[in-house]
Amino acid sequence: MNHNSPRPIAGGIAADGLYWDALEAGEFRLPRCAGCGRWTWPAHWRCGECGSWDFDWTALQPKGVVYSWTRTWYAFDRTRERAGDVPYVVVLVEIDGADGARVMGVLAGDEAALKIGAPVAGTILAPSQKAKGYPSIVWSVQ
Amino acid sequence: MTGSLRGRTAVVGIGQTPLYKRGTAPDPEMKLCLRAIVAACEDAGIPPRDVDGFVSYGSERNEGQKLMPALGTRELRFGALIWGHGGGIPGALGLAASAVVTGQAEVVAVYRSLAEQSGARLRVAVAQDDTAAQYLVNGVDGPVQICSLRTQRMLEADGVPRSTMFALAQAAYHHAQRNPQAAAYGKPFDAGVYEQSRFVSEPYRLYDCSRENDGAVAVIVTSAERAADLVDRPAYILSAPTGAAGGWGPLEENHRPYASSGFEAVARRLWAESGYGPGDVDVAQIYENATGMGVGAILDHGFCTAEEAGGLLTFENLIAPYGRLPVNTSGGNLAEGFVHGMSLVTEAVRQIRGTSVNQVPGAQLSLMTGGPGDSVVSSALLGSGATR
Ligand SMILES: [Zn+2]
Repeated sequence: MNHNSPRPIAGGIAADGLYWDALEAGEFRLPRCAGCGRWTWPAHWRCGECGSWDFDWTALQPKGVVYSWTRTWYAFDRTRERAGDVPYVVVLVEIDGADGARVMGVLAGDEAALKIGAPVAGTILAPSQKAKGYPSIVWSVQ
Repeated sequence: MTGSLRGRTAVVGIGQTPLYKRGTAPDPEMKLCLRAIVAACEDAGIPPRDVDGFVSYGSERNEGQKLMPALGTRELRFGALIWGHGGGIPGALGLAASAVVTGQAEVVAVYRSLAEQSGARLRVAVAQDDTAAQYLVNGVDGPVQICSLRTQRMLEADGVPRSTMFALAQAAYHHAQRNPQAAAYGKPFDAGVYEQSRFVSEPYRLYDCSRENDGAVAVIVTSAERAADLVDRPAYILSAPTGAAGGWGPLEENHRPYASSGFEAVARRLWAESGYGPGDVDVAQIYENATGMGVGAILDHGFCTAEEAGGLLTFENLIAPYGRLPVNTSGGNLAEGFVHGMSLVTEAVRQIRGTSVNQVPGAQLSLMTGGPGDSVVSSALLGSGATR
Protein backbone atom coordinates (compact mmCIF):
# COMPACT_ATOMS: atom_id res chain seq x y z
CA MET A 1 0.00 0.00 0.00
CA ASN A 2 1.47 3.29 -0.95
CA HIS A 3 -1.36 5.77 -1.19
CA ASN A 4 -3.67 7.61 1.12
CA SER A 5 -7.33 7.69 0.19
CA PRO A 6 -8.99 11.04 0.73
CA ARG A 7 -11.02 11.10 3.95
CA PRO A 8 -13.42 13.84 5.02
CA ILE A 9 -12.01 14.71 8.45
CA ALA A 10 -9.16 17.14 7.91
CA GLY A 11 -7.79 17.40 11.46
CA GLY A 12 -4.60 15.93 12.84
CA ILE A 13 -1.51 15.04 10.83
CA ALA A 14 -3.71 13.22 8.29
CA ALA A 15 -1.03 10.68 7.36
CA ASP A 16 -3.33 7.89 8.54
CA GLY A 17 -5.27 7.19 5.34
CA LEU A 18 -3.90 3.66 5.17
CA TYR A 19 -5.10 2.97 8.72
CA TRP A 20 -8.69 3.60 7.65
CA ASP A 21 -8.22 1.84 4.32
CA ALA A 22 -7.01 -1.27 6.16
CA LEU A 23 -9.90 -1.17 8.65
CA GLU A 24 -12.32 -0.85 5.78
CA ALA A 25 -10.78 -4.03 4.36
CA GLY A 26 -11.30 -5.72 7.73
CA GLU A 27 -7.65 -5.50 8.85
CA PHE A 28 -6.02 -3.72 11.73
CA ARG A 29 -2.68 -2.29 10.61
CA LEU A 30 -0.31 0.22 12.17
CA PRO A 31 2.73 1.77 10.50
CA ARG A 32 6.21 0.55 11.26
CA CYS A 33 9.29 2.38 9.99
CA ALA A 34 10.81 0.49 7.05
CA GLY A 35 14.27 1.77 8.07
CA CYS A 36 14.53 1.10 11.80
CA GLY A 37 11.46 -1.00 12.58
CA ARG A 38 10.05 1.46 15.10
CA TRP A 39 6.27 1.62 15.43
CA THR A 40 5.46 5.16 14.37
CA TRP A 41 2.00 6.04 15.63
CA PRO A 42 0.14 8.27 15.07
CA ALA A 43 1.20 8.04 11.44
CA HIS A 44 3.47 10.73 10.11
CA TRP A 45 5.41 11.36 6.92
CA ARG A 46 8.99 10.65 8.03
CA CYS A 47 10.60 8.62 10.81
CA GLY A 48 12.17 11.14 13.15
CA GLU A 49 14.57 8.50 14.49
CA CYS A 50 16.26 7.20 11.33
CA GLY A 51 15.03 9.56 8.62
CA SER A 52 13.23 6.98 6.52
CA TRP A 53 10.23 8.10 4.49
CA ASP A 54 8.90 4.56 4.11
CA PHE A 55 6.58 2.64 6.38
CA ASP A 56 5.33 -0.92 6.46
CA TRP A 57 1.69 -0.98 7.44
CA THR A 58 1.84 -4.09 9.57
CA ALA A 59 -1.13 -6.27 10.46
CA LEU A 60 -1.80 -6.73 14.17
CA GLN A 61 -4.41 -8.47 16.26
CA PRO A 62 -6.83 -5.85 17.65
CA LYS A 63 -5.90 -6.77 21.21
CA GLY A 64 -4.47 -4.81 24.09
CA VAL A 65 -5.17 -3.36 27.50
CA VAL A 66 -7.16 -0.33 28.65
CA TYR A 67 -4.73 2.56 29.05
CA SER A 68 -7.47 5.00 30.05
CA TRP A 69 -11.20 5.49 29.62
CA THR A 70 -14.05 7.95 30.00
CA ARG A 71 -17.81 7.54 30.21
CA THR A 72 -19.47 10.38 28.32
CA TRP A 73 -22.83 11.65 29.62
CA TYR A 74 -23.38 14.52 27.22
CA ALA A 75 -24.18 14.66 23.50
CA PHE A 76 -21.43 16.91 22.25
CA ASP A 77 -21.90 19.09 19.18
CA ARG A 78 -19.52 17.34 16.84
CA THR A 79 -20.38 13.77 17.86
CA ARG A 80 -24.16 14.14 17.73
CA GLU A 81 -24.35 10.86 15.81
CA ARG A 82 -23.90 9.11 19.14
CA ALA A 83 -26.45 11.15 21.11
CA GLY A 84 -28.71 8.13 21.40
CA ASP A 85 -25.90 6.09 22.97
CA VAL A 86 -25.24 8.48 25.88
CA PRO A 87 -23.83 7.45 28.27
CA TYR A 88 -21.15 5.59 26.35
CA VAL A 89 -17.60 4.61 27.24
CA VAL A 90 -14.57 5.44 25.11
CA VAL A 91 -11.43 3.46 25.83
CA LEU A 92 -7.86 4.29 24.95
CA VAL A 93 -6.22 0.95 24.20
CA GLU A 94 -2.52 0.14 24.37
CA ILE A 95 -2.06 -2.36 21.56
CA ASP A 96 -0.20 -5.60 22.29
CA GLY A 97 3.13 -5.90 20.50
CA ALA A 98 3.28 -2.37 19.09
CA ASP A 99 5.68 -0.65 21.46
CA GLY A 100 2.97 1.12 23.43
CA ALA A 101 0.98 2.50 20.49
CA ARG A 102 -2.55 3.46 21.52
CA VAL A 103 -5.79 3.76 19.62
CA MET A 104 -9.27 4.81 20.72
CA GLY A 105 -12.64 3.14 20.40
CA VAL A 106 -16.07 2.80 21.92
CA LEU A 107 -16.54 0.03 24.49
CA ALA A 108 -19.27 -2.51 23.80
CA GLY A 109 -20.75 -5.02 26.21
CA ASP A 110 -20.23 -5.44 29.91
CA GLU A 111 -18.63 -2.48 31.70
CA ALA A 112 -18.33 -4.15 35.10
CA ALA A 113 -14.69 -5.14 34.62
CA LEU A 114 -13.69 -1.85 33.00
CA LYS A 115 -10.49 -0.50 34.54
CA ILE A 116 -7.05 0.59 33.50
CA GLY A 117 -5.04 -2.51 32.65
CA ALA A 118 -8.07 -4.63 31.74
CA PRO A 119 -7.45 -6.77 28.64
CA VAL A 120 -9.65 -5.89 25.67
CA ALA A 121 -10.25 -7.24 22.18
CA GLY A 122 -11.57 -5.30 19.22
CA THR A 123 -14.10 -6.00 16.51
CA ILE A 124 -13.79 -4.09 13.26
CA LEU A 125 -17.01 -2.44 12.11
CA ALA A 126 -17.81 -1.37 8.56
CA PRO A 127 -18.21 2.37 7.89
CA SER A 128 -21.24 3.73 9.67
CA GLN A 129 -23.07 6.96 10.19
CA LYS A 130 -22.19 6.89 13.92
CA ALA A 131 -18.51 6.78 12.96
CA LYS A 132 -18.93 9.61 10.44
CA GLY A 133 -18.69 7.29 7.47
CA TYR A 134 -15.42 5.75 8.69
CA PRO A 135 -14.73 2.15 9.63
CA SER A 136 -14.05 1.73 13.34
CA ILE A 137 -13.09 -0.67 16.10
CA VAL A 138 -15.32 -1.42 19.08
CA TRP A 139 -13.68 -2.97 22.10
CA SER A 140 -14.89 -5.36 24.73
CA VAL A 141 -13.34 -6.35 28.03
CA GLN A 142 -12.07 -9.94 27.96
CA MET B 1 22.63 35.56 31.61
CA THR B 2 23.22 36.49 27.97
CA GLY B 3 20.05 36.31 25.96
CA SER B 4 17.80 35.98 28.97
CA LEU B 5 14.52 37.88 29.05
CA ARG B 6 14.58 37.89 32.84
CA GLY B 7 13.25 41.15 34.24
CA ARG B 8 13.88 43.15 31.07
CA THR B 9 10.21 43.83 30.36
CA ALA B 10 7.09 44.34 32.42
CA VAL B 11 3.32 44.40 32.22
CA VAL B 12 2.35 48.03 32.77
CA GLY B 13 -1.31 48.04 31.86
CA ILE B 14 -4.26 45.70 32.22
CA GLY B 15 -7.74 46.02 30.75
CA GLN B 16 -10.77 43.86 30.42
CA THR B 17 -14.39 44.14 29.47
CA PRO B 18 -17.06 42.61 31.66
CA LEU B 19 -17.21 38.86 31.08
CA TYR B 20 -20.67 38.30 29.63
CA LYS B 21 -22.65 35.10 29.55
CA ARG B 22 -21.93 33.44 26.24
CA GLY B 23 -23.80 35.00 23.37
CA THR B 24 -24.94 38.08 25.32
CA ALA B 25 -22.17 40.64 24.78
CA PRO B 26 -23.61 44.00 23.73
CA ASP B 27 -20.74 44.57 21.32
CA PRO B 28 -19.19 42.52 18.55
CA GLU B 29 -15.94 40.76 19.24
CA MET B 30 -13.63 43.31 17.60
CA LYS B 31 -15.17 46.16 19.56
CA LEU B 32 -14.68 44.23 22.78
CA CYS B 33 -11.08 43.64 21.76
CA LEU B 34 -10.56 47.38 21.18
CA ARG B 35 -12.19 48.25 24.50
CA ALA B 36 -9.83 45.91 26.37
CA ILE B 37 -6.72 47.24 24.61
CA VAL B 38 -7.74 50.89 25.13
CA ALA B 39 -8.49 50.18 28.81
CA ALA B 40 -5.07 48.56 29.23
CA CYS B 41 -3.41 51.59 27.58
CA GLU B 42 -5.29 54.00 29.86
CA ASP B 43 -4.27 51.92 32.86
CA ALA B 44 -0.64 52.19 31.73
CA GLY B 45 -0.85 55.88 30.84
CA ILE B 46 0.15 55.13 27.25
CA PRO B 47 -1.77 56.57 24.26
CA PRO B 48 -3.34 53.70 22.28
CA ARG B 49 -1.65 54.96 19.13
CA ASP B 50 1.72 54.13 20.70
CA VAL B 51 1.00 50.41 20.62
CA ASP B 52 3.26 49.06 17.89
CA GLY B 53 3.08 45.33 18.61
CA PHE B 54 0.15 42.89 18.73
CA VAL B 55 0.43 39.39 20.13
CA SER B 56 -2.15 36.74 20.83
CA TYR B 57 -2.54 32.96 20.79
CA GLY B 58 -4.74 30.20 19.44
CA SER B 59 -7.55 31.24 17.14
CA GLU B 60 -7.66 34.98 17.86
CA ARG B 61 -9.06 36.60 14.76
CA ASN B 62 -8.65 40.29 15.57
CA GLU B 63 -5.22 40.76 14.06
CA GLY B 64 -3.39 43.97 14.87
CA GLN B 65 -3.66 45.27 11.34
CA LYS B 66 -7.45 45.20 11.64
CA LEU B 67 -7.30 47.31 14.79
CA MET B 68 -4.95 50.02 13.51
CA PRO B 69 -7.53 52.54 12.24
CA ALA B 70 -9.43 52.44 15.54
CA LEU B 71 -6.32 52.78 17.67
CA GLY B 72 -4.72 55.46 15.50
CA THR B 73 -1.69 53.22 15.17
CA ARG B 74 1.26 55.06 13.66
CA GLU B 75 3.14 51.95 12.64
CA LEU B 76 2.64 48.28 13.33
CA ARG B 77 6.11 46.89 13.88
CA PHE B 78 5.41 43.45 15.30
CA GLY B 79 2.47 41.07 15.14
CA ALA B 80 2.38 37.34 15.87
CA LEU B 81 0.34 34.50 17.24
CA ILE B 82 1.52 31.64 19.45
CA TRP B 83 0.41 28.30 18.03
CA GLY B 84 -1.93 26.02 19.94
CA HIS B 85 -5.02 27.01 21.88
CA GLY B 86 -5.09 28.13 25.51
CA GLY B 87 -1.64 26.63 26.03
CA GLY B 88 -0.05 29.72 24.55
CA ILE B 89 -1.24 32.51 26.83
CA PRO B 90 1.68 33.09 29.18
CA GLY B 91 4.00 32.37 26.28
CA ALA B 92 2.38 35.27 24.45
CA LEU B 93 3.89 37.46 27.17
CA GLY B 94 7.25 35.87 26.41
CA LEU B 95 6.83 36.55 22.70
CA ALA B 96 5.95 40.18 23.44
CA ALA B 97 8.99 40.44 25.73
CA SER B 98 11.22 38.98 23.00
CA ALA B 99 10.02 41.64 20.59
CA VAL B 100 10.66 44.44 23.07
CA VAL B 101 14.09 43.20 24.19
CA THR B 102 15.27 42.81 20.59
CA GLY B 103 13.99 46.24 19.60
CA GLN B 104 11.32 44.97 17.21
CA ALA B 105 8.59 46.85 19.06
CA GLU B 106 8.32 49.18 22.04
CA VAL B 107 4.78 48.78 23.31
CA VAL B 108 3.09 45.43 22.74
CA ALA B 109 -0.56 44.60 23.41
CA VAL B 110 -1.17 40.97 24.37
CA TYR B 111 -4.86 40.18 24.15
CA ARG B 112 -7.66 37.72 23.60
CA SER B 113 -11.22 38.42 22.58
CA LEU B 114 -14.17 36.11 22.30
CA ALA B 115 -17.83 36.69 21.48
CA GLU B 116 -20.22 34.05 20.28
CA GLN B 117 -22.27 36.30 17.99
CA SER B 118 -19.34 37.20 15.82
CA GLY B 119 -17.22 34.23 16.79
CA ALA B 120 -19.87 31.64 15.81
CA ARG B 121 -19.38 29.19 18.66
CA LEU B 122 -15.66 29.49 18.86
CA ARG B 123 -15.34 26.26 20.84
CA VAL B 124 -16.51 24.39 17.80
CA ALA B 125 -14.64 26.55 15.34
CA VAL B 126 -11.40 26.30 17.27
CA ALA B 127 -11.33 22.55 17.49
CA GLN B 128 -12.76 21.75 14.08
CA ASP B 129 -9.60 22.17 12.12
CA ASP B 130 -7.23 20.20 14.28
CA THR B 131 -9.23 17.37 15.76
CA ALA B 132 -8.00 14.14 14.20
CA ALA B 133 -10.32 11.49 12.78
CA GLN B 134 -9.24 9.06 15.53
CA TYR B 135 -11.21 11.21 18.00
CA LEU B 136 -14.30 12.16 16.04
CA VAL B 137 -14.86 8.68 14.61
CA ASN B 138 -14.86 7.25 18.13
CA GLY B 139 -17.31 9.62 19.78
CA VAL B 140 -14.71 12.04 21.15
CA ASP B 141 -15.77 15.59 20.32
CA GLY B 142 -12.82 17.46 21.72
CA PRO B 143 -11.17 18.99 24.76
CA VAL B 144 -13.48 17.90 27.60
CA GLN B 145 -13.40 14.20 26.72
CA ILE B 146 -9.69 14.30 25.91
CA CYS B 147 -9.00 15.87 29.30
CA SER B 148 -11.21 13.17 30.84
CA LEU B 149 -9.08 10.38 29.39
CA ARG B 150 -5.89 11.96 30.68
CA THR B 151 -7.26 12.78 34.11
CA GLN B 152 -8.74 9.31 34.56
CA ARG B 153 -5.22 7.94 34.07
CA MET B 154 -3.83 10.45 36.59
CA LEU B 155 -6.41 9.37 39.17
CA GLU B 156 -6.54 5.64 38.58
CA ALA B 157 -2.95 4.79 37.62
CA ASP B 158 -0.96 7.55 39.36
CA GLY B 159 -3.13 7.64 42.47
CA VAL B 160 -3.81 11.38 42.63
CA PRO B 161 -6.94 11.68 44.77
CA ARG B 162 -10.18 13.10 43.38
CA SER B 163 -10.30 15.44 46.37
CA THR B 164 -7.68 17.59 44.61
CA MET B 165 -10.14 18.33 41.78
CA PHE B 166 -12.87 19.40 44.16
CA ALA B 167 -10.42 21.51 46.18
CA LEU B 168 -9.39 23.45 43.07
CA ALA B 169 -13.03 24.12 42.19
CA GLN B 170 -13.90 25.02 45.78
CA ALA B 171 -11.02 27.52 46.02
CA ALA B 172 -12.08 29.17 42.74
CA TYR B 173 -15.71 29.54 43.86
CA HIS B 174 -14.61 30.79 47.27
CA HIS B 175 -12.47 33.51 45.68
CA ALA B 176 -15.26 34.48 43.29
CA GLN B 177 -17.46 35.46 46.25
CA ARG B 178 -15.28 38.55 46.72
CA ASN B 179 -15.23 39.41 43.01
CA PRO B 180 -18.45 41.16 41.92
CA GLN B 181 -17.35 40.73 38.29
CA ALA B 182 -17.23 36.95 38.61
CA ALA B 183 -19.82 34.69 37.00
CA ALA B 184 -20.13 32.74 40.26
CA TYR B 185 -20.39 35.83 42.49
CA GLY B 186 -23.19 35.29 44.96
CA LYS B 187 -23.59 31.65 44.00
CA PRO B 188 -22.93 29.28 46.87
CA PHE B 189 -20.86 26.21 46.19
CA ASP B 190 -20.07 23.25 48.38
CA ALA B 191 -19.50 19.50 48.21
CA GLY B 192 -23.22 18.88 47.88
CA VAL B 193 -23.61 21.17 44.87
CA TYR B 194 -20.51 19.63 43.31
CA GLU B 195 -21.47 16.03 43.82
CA GLN B 196 -25.04 16.54 42.69
CA SER B 197 -23.97 18.16 39.43
CA ARG B 198 -24.17 15.85 36.45
CA PHE B 199 -21.24 14.13 34.85
CA VAL B 200 -20.14 15.58 31.54
CA SER B 201 -17.56 12.94 30.82
CA GLU B 202 -16.19 10.93 33.74
CA PRO B 203 -14.33 11.80 35.88
CA TYR B 204 -15.56 15.33 35.13
CA ARG B 205 -18.73 16.85 36.45
CA LEU B 206 -20.23 20.11 35.25
CA TYR B 207 -18.49 22.03 38.01
CA ASP B 208 -15.10 20.69 36.98
CA CYS B 209 -15.33 22.32 33.55
CA SER B 210 -14.90 25.88 32.37
CA ARG B 211 -17.54 27.42 30.15
CA GLU B 212 -16.74 30.16 27.66
CA ASN B 213 -17.83 33.73 28.22
CA ASP B 214 -17.99 36.65 25.85
CA GLY B 215 -15.40 39.29 26.61
CA ALA B 216 -11.94 40.59 25.92
CA VAL B 217 -8.83 40.99 28.04
CA ALA B 218 -5.59 42.81 27.22
CA VAL B 219 -2.29 43.69 28.84
CA ILE B 220 0.48 46.07 27.75
CA VAL B 221 4.12 44.93 27.77
CA THR B 222 7.01 47.34 27.48
CA SER B 223 10.65 47.65 28.53
CA ALA B 224 11.62 47.63 32.19
CA GLU B 225 13.13 51.12 31.74
CA ARG B 226 9.92 52.60 30.40
CA ALA B 227 7.86 50.65 32.92
CA ALA B 228 9.62 52.31 35.82
CA ASP B 229 8.56 55.74 34.50
CA LEU B 230 4.97 54.71 33.89
CA VAL B 231 3.68 52.87 36.93
CA ASP B 232 4.41 52.36 40.61
CA ARG B 233 4.52 48.59 40.58
CA PRO B 234 5.36 47.06 37.21
CA ALA B 235 4.86 43.31 36.99
CA TYR B 236 8.23 42.25 35.63
CA ILE B 237 8.29 39.27 33.31
CA LEU B 238 10.92 36.98 34.83
CA SER B 239 10.37 34.14 32.38
CA ALA B 240 7.59 33.10 30.01
CA PRO B 241 8.65 30.07 27.97
CA THR B 242 6.51 28.18 25.46
CA GLY B 243 7.11 24.66 24.24
CA ALA B 244 6.63 20.94 24.12
CA ALA B 245 9.17 18.23 24.90
CA GLY B 246 9.77 15.35 22.49
CA GLY B 247 7.00 12.84 23.12
CA TRP B 248 4.45 15.64 23.36
CA GLY B 249 2.36 17.41 20.73
CA PRO B 250 -0.70 16.51 18.66
CA LEU B 251 -0.20 12.78 19.21
CA GLU B 252 -3.75 11.44 19.38
CA GLU B 253 -3.34 10.27 23.00
CA ASN B 254 0.09 8.73 22.43
CA HIS B 255 1.76 11.35 24.64
CA ARG B 256 4.58 10.25 26.92
CA PRO B 257 4.29 10.83 29.83
CA TYR B 258 0.53 10.57 29.40
CA ALA B 259 -0.89 11.53 32.79
CA SER B 260 0.67 14.96 32.55
CA SER B 261 -0.47 18.40 31.53
CA GLY B 262 2.60 18.73 29.30
CA PHE B 263 4.57 21.34 31.28
CA GLU B 264 7.63 19.43 32.42
CA ALA B 265 10.03 20.95 29.88
CA VAL B 266 8.49 24.43 30.05
CA ALA B 267 8.57 24.40 33.86
CA ARG B 268 12.23 23.41 33.87
CA ARG B 269 13.04 26.39 31.64
CA LEU B 270 10.82 28.70 33.68
CA TRP B 271 12.64 27.94 36.92
CA ALA B 272 16.07 28.03 35.24
CA GLU B 273 15.56 31.39 33.55
CA SER B 274 13.85 33.07 36.48
CA GLY B 275 16.23 31.69 39.10
CA TYR B 276 13.31 30.75 41.33
CA GLY B 277 11.56 27.50 42.15
CA PRO B 278 8.10 26.34 43.12
CA GLY B 279 8.80 26.93 46.80
CA ASP B 280 9.29 30.65 46.13
CA VAL B 281 5.93 31.29 44.48
CA ASP B 282 3.49 33.41 46.49
CA VAL B 283 0.39 32.99 44.37
CA ALA B 284 -0.56 31.14 41.19
CA GLN B 285 -3.18 31.46 38.48
CA ILE B 286 -3.68 27.94 37.14
CA TYR B 287 -5.52 27.66 33.82
CA GLU B 288 -8.17 25.00 34.35
CA ASN B 289 -10.09 23.94 31.27
CA ALA B 290 -11.01 21.17 33.67
CA THR B 291 -9.98 20.81 37.31
CA GLY B 292 -7.85 17.69 36.95
CA MET B 293 -5.78 19.26 34.20
CA GLY B 294 -5.05 22.18 36.54
CA VAL B 295 -3.97 19.66 39.16
CA GLY B 296 -1.68 18.15 36.53
CA ALA B 297 -0.18 21.58 35.81
CA ILE B 298 0.60 22.06 39.51
CA LEU B 299 2.31 18.65 39.59
CA ASP B 300 4.23 19.35 36.38
CA HIS B 301 5.60 22.59 37.86
CA GLY B 302 7.06 20.68 40.76
CA PHE B 303 4.87 21.93 43.60
CA CYS B 304 4.28 18.36 44.72
CA THR B 305 4.43 14.76 43.53
CA ALA B 306 1.42 12.59 42.75
CA GLU B 307 1.86 11.01 46.18
CA GLU B 308 1.89 14.41 47.91
CA ALA B 309 -0.96 15.92 45.89
CA GLY B 310 -3.72 15.00 48.33
CA GLY B 311 -1.87 16.71 51.16
CA LEU B 312 -0.98 19.95 49.37
CA LEU B 313 -4.06 20.45 47.24
CA THR B 314 -6.68 21.10 49.90
CA PHE B 315 -9.14 23.98 50.13
CA GLU B 316 -7.27 25.54 53.06
CA ASN B 317 -3.96 25.45 51.22
CA LEU B 318 -5.37 26.86 47.98
CA ILE B 319 -7.07 30.00 49.28
CA ALA B 320 -5.87 33.53 49.90
CA PRO B 321 -4.61 35.17 51.94
CA TYR B 322 -2.69 32.59 53.94
CA GLY B 323 -2.89 29.25 52.14
CA ARG B 324 0.37 27.55 51.18
CA LEU B 325 -0.40 28.07 47.48
CA PRO B 326 -3.35 30.40 46.85
CA VAL B 327 -4.64 29.80 43.33
CA ASN B 328 -7.12 31.46 40.96
CA THR B 329 -7.71 34.38 43.28
CA SER B 330 -10.26 36.15 41.06
CA GLY B 331 -12.24 32.93 40.63
CA GLY B 332 -10.29 31.58 37.67
CA ASN B 333 -11.73 30.17 34.49
CA LEU B 334 -14.24 28.13 36.50
CA ALA B 335 -15.83 30.82 38.64
CA GLU B 336 -14.78 34.23 37.30
CA GLY B 337 -15.23 33.55 33.60
CA PHE B 338 -13.45 32.06 30.65
CA VAL B 339 -11.95 34.12 27.86
CA HIS B 340 -9.58 31.31 27.00
CA GLY B 341 -7.67 31.99 30.19
CA MET B 342 -6.61 35.55 29.47
CA SER B 343 -8.23 36.94 32.63
CA LEU B 344 -5.74 34.87 34.60
CA VAL B 345 -2.98 37.12 33.25
CA THR B 346 -4.60 40.30 34.54
CA GLU B 347 -5.12 38.66 37.94
CA ALA B 348 -1.49 37.54 38.08
CA VAL B 349 -0.53 41.20 37.50
CA ARG B 350 -2.96 42.46 40.16
CA GLN B 351 -1.29 40.21 42.73
CA ILE B 352 2.06 41.91 42.06
CA ARG B 353 0.36 45.32 42.24
CA GLY B 354 -1.41 44.43 45.49
CA THR B 355 -4.85 45.12 44.04
CA SER B 356 -6.52 41.71 43.90
CA VAL B 357 -9.88 41.26 45.64
CA ASN B 358 -8.21 38.24 47.26
CA GLN B 359 -4.78 39.73 47.73
CA VAL B 360 -1.94 37.60 49.03
CA PRO B 361 -0.18 40.05 51.35
CA GLY B 362 3.15 41.21 49.96
CA ALA B 363 3.09 38.89 46.95
CA GLN B 364 6.40 39.19 45.10
CA LEU B 365 6.27 36.19 42.75
CA SER B 366 3.13 35.48 40.78
CA LEU B 367 2.85 32.44 38.51
CA MET B 368 0.51 31.85 35.62
CA THR B 369 0.28 28.50 33.87
CA GLY B 370 -1.33 28.21 30.43
CA GLY B 371 -3.88 25.84 28.98
CA PRO B 372 -2.90 22.40 30.32
CA GLY B 373 -2.66 19.44 27.99
CA ASP B 374 -2.51 21.60 24.87
CA SER B 375 -0.10 20.43 22.18
CA VAL B 376 2.22 23.26 23.17
CA VAL B 377 2.02 24.91 26.57
CA SER B 378 3.56 27.88 28.34
CA SER B 379 3.97 29.44 31.77
CA ALA B 380 4.96 32.84 33.07
CA LEU B 381 6.51 34.02 36.30
CA LEU B 382 5.90 37.68 37.16
CA GLY B 383 7.92 39.48 39.79
CA SER B 384 7.96 42.76 41.68
CA GLY B 385 10.79 45.28 41.89
CA ALA B 386 12.13 43.24 44.82
CA THR B 387 12.28 39.92 43.00
CA ARG B 388 13.18 41.23 39.57
ZN1 LIG C 1 12.98 4.78 11.44
